[in-house]
Amino acid sequence: MIDFQLRVDSRILQAILPELEKTFGKASKTSGVTFACPNPLDEDFVDAWESGLKEEFLNDRKSLARLLRNPKFKHGYVEVEEDEAEELLRSLTELRLTLRENSLREFTDEDLENGEVELDTHKPSVRIGYFAYLVMAEIQEKLIAECP
Amino acid sequence: MYTVPFMPLSVNPETIETTETEPELAQVWKVIVLNDPVNLMNYVVMVFRKVFGYGEQKAIKHMQEVHELGKSILWTGEREQAESYVFQLQKWRLQAVLERDD
Repeated sequence: MIDFQLRVDSRILQAILPELEKTFGKASKTSGVTFACPNPLDEDFVDAWESGLKEEFLNDRKSLARLLRNPKFKHGYVEVEEDEAEELLRSLTELRLTLRENSLREFTDEDLENGEVELDTHKPSVRIGYFAYLVMAEIQEKLIAECP
Repeated sequence: MYTVPFMPLSVNPETIETTETEPELAQVWKVIVLNDPVNLMNYVVMVFRKVFGYGEQKAIKHMQEVHELGKSILWTGEREQAESYVFQLQKWRLQAVLERDD
């Protein structure tokens, strides 16, 4: 079992949880397949490629759903089985990509890459989206450090 | 030293046609990863190590190329293996594409 405590104020965590659940719901409703198939002219190949990815994404999301439903997570405590760590890492990336496409559209790629974001000039919903984005990154950082 | 390549005196047209329509599977393909602003640097390094079995330094070098140049060629070789690598990279939500190596 991999477990750790996030370095985030519990009030921030309480504020971002609804945003995380909303974004996770949004990501789960789509196939999530936005990646280029290497053989776009072959319909059968495209179908097989996309359904393969879709199946992988569905499986990954189960680990994130377990994390979000865990009552300890509300208090910043992360618990994940070692054999689910990779699935969780991937679904956290999907969540961050979805946050970027929805809540963080106002930021440029450079702003996000450099972490140079002026939060005071943005609406509370954008701020919450950005905090959620950062907390997901912190979970990923800690999981990567723990992964074999 | 530059060597003048062998130039045949007569050419069989069938030979030319066979060469030009070389099957895709027999050609060399490049697996390319494109930059994105979301994925963490150590996440990308970890994925390169897992997918290609690269050592840490090689994985870091490719990650830096992606970050600084916008893309990096991770692997070149046969089409089937290249497709498998692209699928694995996309499974990790990296923007990976396949290109013919000209």
